[in-house]
Amino acid sequence: MKKTINIPIGSQHIALLEPVRFKFECENEKIVGVDSDVGFVHRGIEKACTTKFKYDAIGYVVARVCGLCAITHSMTYTASIEKLIGGEITQKAKYLRILLLELDRIHSHMLCLSHTCENAGFEAMFMRIMGDREDIMEIQELITGNRVQFDYISIGGVNRDIDAALAKKILSKLELVRQKVLGYMDEFTNNWSLSLKFKGVGILTLDDAYRFNAIGPLARASGVQADVRNEIDYLPYNEIGFKMQKHTEGDINARNLIRLNELLNSIEMCNNILEGLPEGEIFTKLRGKPNGESVVRFEAPRGELMYYVKANGSAMLERVRIKTPTFSSIPAFSHIFTGANYADAPAILASFDPCLSCTAK
Amino acid sequence: MFDFKPIRKKSPWILHYNAGSCNGCDIEILACLSPKYDIERFGVINTGNPKQSDVFLVTGPVTFRSRERLIELYTQMPEPKVVMAVGSCTCTGGVFRDMYNVENGLDRYIPVDVYVPGCASSPELIIDGLVKALEILESKTKEIEKPFKLFREASLDNTIVNRRNSALKVGEDTTDDEKN
Repeated sequence: MKKTINIPIGSQHIALLEPVRFKFECENEKIVGVDSDVGFVHRGIEKACTTKFKYDAIGYVVARVCGLCAITHSMTYTASIEKLIGGEITQKAKYLRILLLELDRIHSHMLCLSHTCENAGFEAMFMRIMGDREDIMEIQELITGNRVQFDYISIGGVNRDIDAALAKKILSKLELVRQKVLGYMDEFTNNWSLSLKFKGVGILTLDDAYRFNAIGPLARASGVQADVRNEIDYLPYNEIGFKMQKHTEGDINARNLIRLNELLNSIEMCNNILEGLPEGEIFTKLRGKPNGESVVRFEAPRGELMYYVKANGSAMLERVRIKTPTFSSIPAFSHIFTGANYADAPAILASFDPCLSCTAK
Repeated sequence: MFDFKPIRKKSPWILHYNAGSCNGCDIEILACLSPKYDIERFGVINTGNPKQSDVFLVTGPVTFRSRERLIELYTQMPEPKVVMAVGSCTCTGGVFRDMYNVENGLDRYIPVDVYVPGCASSPELIIDGLVKALEILESKTKEIEKPFKLFREASLDNTIVNRRNSALKVGEDTTDDEKN
């Protein structure tokens, strides 16, 4: 007689934001095998980038790959085109780009933390973090005019400027958010019932992190020192106080603490940018068509995002390849699930912060 | 005695399905349920169960692989039900229109009652759409509660029998005209 039971989660499930199907093979309470299916939201954006849209419009199309890290997608694409055209953008535009990228990272991490709490059964914390997240959404709306899909970055600079009054308003709001994040820090480290759900659950060791090619907060929680923001030179991250976060435990709690520390670091970076914003133009017109190949990497909220662009001097590109963070992390996900309790599966899944619309494109 | 009837409204429970959207509209629906907009205080609860829900919120242009699930969920929902298309790409296909793995919009598959535009739709727009959906739900409920005869009289309009009869009549008239 067969001893295992198959339990599916998805493709439509209350704990999931997006359609993904996991098939858990369970022996009593333990999960012994995982099968995942991520292709429900495949739309064919890579093909459309080479057939339907011209190169100057694709920055706004690839933003629709994912709503949570939209600005990172358009930033990475824009950087690869700017590399091919060979123009230099102003210092102010660079700083404004970093500002929006970090605001995006803050609201994405807050969503992930709240979702982890909800899936662990702590509904009140979910509501608390989601309520505080609205401050960041308001800041984004003030700067760009839209809450989620702000098409802020264009080839040659950014689309809107900020003035002194707006900067002051944003600084006061960021200070409020910082106080609240310190409050979460206390809750996540000292709450006893949360520690039962998070500490020692879903462990990824350092060796396994290397073996399964984990990236982003998942890898940093296991002790891998990998952050693309530390390695790139086309955005001045080293000037504004970027600090690499690191933990060694590798469980859900470590991932949460990594995200909380990154929140604090991102808020600090935003403060530094707003206080020392240089004068100048926000947009320079770049002349010429892209020609050649380029590869650009960037740190999305979930890990390394890579774009490969091949152009032939005309308005249509030859190839756009998008390698998204969740896609690389799927082997590590499957490894963590085996051996865990089935009751912990939703919390573990939320702690990865998977983005399936990124993965399927 | 105070009359409660005009104030009382049904609390619509919603079922949310992502049919290939970019997550933008999904997090805005989540923001609707969070403390700032808080539609849960009006009894709007996000259920994961199609058999208990009244309003079907769909985001995303319908991708090939999500079609079956979409129709399955729609058929599992009990009558009366209202379908809301949230986001530009759900209404018309939007930026994904004519991509190879995408059906252009939700209304090619299931009848849509409320269209909520925007990329991504803001929470205010989604709440406005839900208020509209509530009105439609009420009218649909009334329609269902109406008593009806199993064998309708032929004189009533909009019955199949009546339409067939009138169609025959038109045909006869034309033949008569030709004869004349």
